[in-house]
Amino acid sequence: MSNFQELIKSFPKTREYVRDFFVYGFKTRNEFKEKSPRTYDNERRRLESWLGPFVQRDYVPGGFNISLAIDSGLLDSNPLFRVWKTKSFTDNDIVLHFLILDLLQDGQSLTAEELTDRLLTDYETLFDIQTVRRKCNAYEKEGLLGREKSGKAVRFFLDNRLSHWLKSNESARDALAFYQMAGCLGIIGNEILEQLESQNRSFRVKHSFFVHTLEDEILLSLLNAMNRKLNVELTIKSSKKGLENTASCIPLQIFVSARSGRRFLCGYVKRSKRFTCFRLDTVKQVGCLEPAPEYDGLQEKLERNRCLLWGVSFQGTERHHLDTLTMTLYVKEPRELYIVDRLKREGRGGSVTRMGENTWQYQRESFDCNEMLPWVRTFTGRILSLECTAKSVEQRFYQDLEDMYQMYQTGGNTDGTVF
Amino acid sequence: MELFSEIYSCYYQVMRHLLTCQNALTADEIRSRICKEGFEESLLAIIPKLENGNWNLFQKEHELYFSKINSEFLTPLSRLQKSYLKALLSDPRITLFLNREQLHSLEHMLNSVEPLWHPKQIYYFDRFTDGDPYTDDAYRSKFRTLLSAQKNRQYADIDYNSPNGARVHHYYVPARLEYSVKNDKFRLLALKHAKNGRMRLEILNIARIQKVCLTDKFFTGQMDLNALIQDSYYKEPLRLHILNKRNALERAMLHFANYKKNTRKIGENTYECLIYYNQAMETELLIEVLSFGPMLKVVGNDRFLNNLKKS
Repeated sequence: MSNFQELIKSFPKTREYVRDFFVYGFKTRNEFKEKSPRTYDNERRRLESWLGPFVQRDYVPGGFNISLAIDSGLLDSNPLFRVWKTKSFTDNDIVLHFLILDLLQDGQSLTAEELTDRLLTDYETLFDIQTVRRKCNAYEKEGLLGREKSGKAVRFFLDNRLSHWLKSNESARDALAFYQMAGCLGIIGNEILEQLESQNRSFRVKHSFFVHTLEDEILLSLLNAMNRKLNVELTIKSSKKGLENTASCIPLQIFVSARSGRRFLCGYVKRSKRFTCFRLDTVKQVGCLEPAPEYDGLQEKLERNRCLLWGVSFQGTERHHLDTLTMTLYVKEPRELYIVDRLKREGRGGSVTRMGENTWQYQRESFDCNEMLPWVRTFTGRILSLECTAKSVEQRFYQDLEDMYQMYQTGGNTDGTVF
Repeated sequence: MELFSEIYSCYYQVMRHLLTCQNALTADEIRSRICKEGFEESLLAIIPKLENGNWNLFQKEHELYFSKINSEFLTPLSRLQKSYLKALLSDPRITLFLNREQLHSLEHMLNSVEPLWHPKQIYYFDRFTDGDPYTDDAYRSKFRTLLSAQKNRQYADIDYNSPNGARVHHYYVPARLEYSVKNDKFRLLALKHAKNGRMRLEILNIARIQKVCLTDKFFTGQMDLNALIQDSYYKEPLRLHILNKRNALERAMLHFANYKKNTRKIGENTYECLIYYNQAMETELLIEVLSFGPMLKVVGNDRFLNNLKKS
């Protein structure tokens, strides 16, 4: 353990460990089979170092397991953001970061040669010109520095107007405090807030699924490919069997579930000529390929098809093009009209019709009605009948209901008049 | 544009704070700040670098460390951060925070920047359709008044229409503004004086607030919102058995990831999960549990089990 380093070079390996500790939190050291026990020990130690206050140890037969006990309703920030702040660096990196940016704070522009001289005269630090130039070029690429040509010389400068504006603008910092919790790629908002010496003390987010920040690097690569209308190659690791494979597609849209926080890439797979969704937490790598000239047309096609999606599946188990699910419910009027409100609010455009006193019908077409079942089950106790043109969906619904009656040993009747 | 970059690292942040201190620092002060702001083992990595001069950023005189950089030092925003800000400008909720003039200024400063994403690239497929009216002037005004009261711990005089139709008029201390991603709504977590003299936590939908006025009274007592929330949890958590079929374990673990929970393996393919919750979360949790069908079995507490059987 003498070579243990708190910081890391690359993110992907750690991403898997943090996810396992956070999502499951019941695996002991022996159950992490993919990596050596030594690797497990190092990863666990890092995790404890980064996320100390949230790490919980439970002693179980055969050892102890550690998990991340995070109650998102009690936090003003996502503790997993800390994982993004663990990149290792060299001694030169950190010294040049502060000294170059300090030299340019007053807005003047300097060449790499001038900067090298000033580093020596102002701070008594000796660097060669190439090292300084390389850092300036890297910072220009990152957007931290600007660059201008003066004759043959390249001069670097720093434009801090935006940072000053944000620092003096409380409303903007409030917005960042909110978006770092509630929005897409909140880690970036969190880092800006930190730079501005500010933090969130005003907002909480309900239905916040902190673990998904671990996919933000993948999301960023996909958004970049989408903005440039490129084909991509995805390296995917199946969550069920752990097998790795690749898939090529044209990335069109990011689908997000507000209920589970899960995010998907919806892309067009040329080989199968189909829209397909890939879970972001199973995507390990994104490689950008050539431009996709058909991009705009596919986006329009997806837009037209989206109203027939329930979730993320474009094809049901019975391989029909479309299926229709019809659910009839008992709603005691007027006391239980909130059920009707739920159907309208949550039914994703399905029709809601009053069939008679206390009887309402919900109907919707979908590519895959199987996806609707979790939502349909939330009306358990009020469903008079459920019909679906995909018979397997109907069967699964009634079978699950029967299983639940047996599980809880309650009376029920699954012949089509369920209460 | 790298997301995982050393320029955003915790060590850089800690060093920036040390370097921009107005006064010279003792070694103990440096250690104390690293312990407070760094990771648990950061001290072991940073101190030797400062002592052996590899991070030659301080001038050491006697026992004091003098920063070599100006205390007004401000880190510029990276391209990634600017693109992020540009993307936020297209979000309808941004007008809750920034007025027209501020939006114009920010747009102007980000004129040459491409947004990291466009709203149409992100699609929330199961979000409820009756979200709050963010572009409505009256809503925005209420939001800003409540945010101001929250930040200043100021009592707000609130006239509220509750979901059951009752009209409530009371003085509240806004504790937090809570956003629900699923409902696309803001709620106010507010403290109210109860009859027993204690403060009680109430949750109000901001869209249902009819009128809000700031008072000239400020709350000066201790406000421990988390203690109030945790005290409201039932002593007996929801006890679930998860049968790992149809990938139910992973689905459940992710689905309930926003609750305080504890999971252990109890059989070859069965897991027990304890979920801590309060009355306000009860209906929603029941709905979520029902959505899993027979893959989840509620074995306790009795209250939850009875509600499930009644449903």
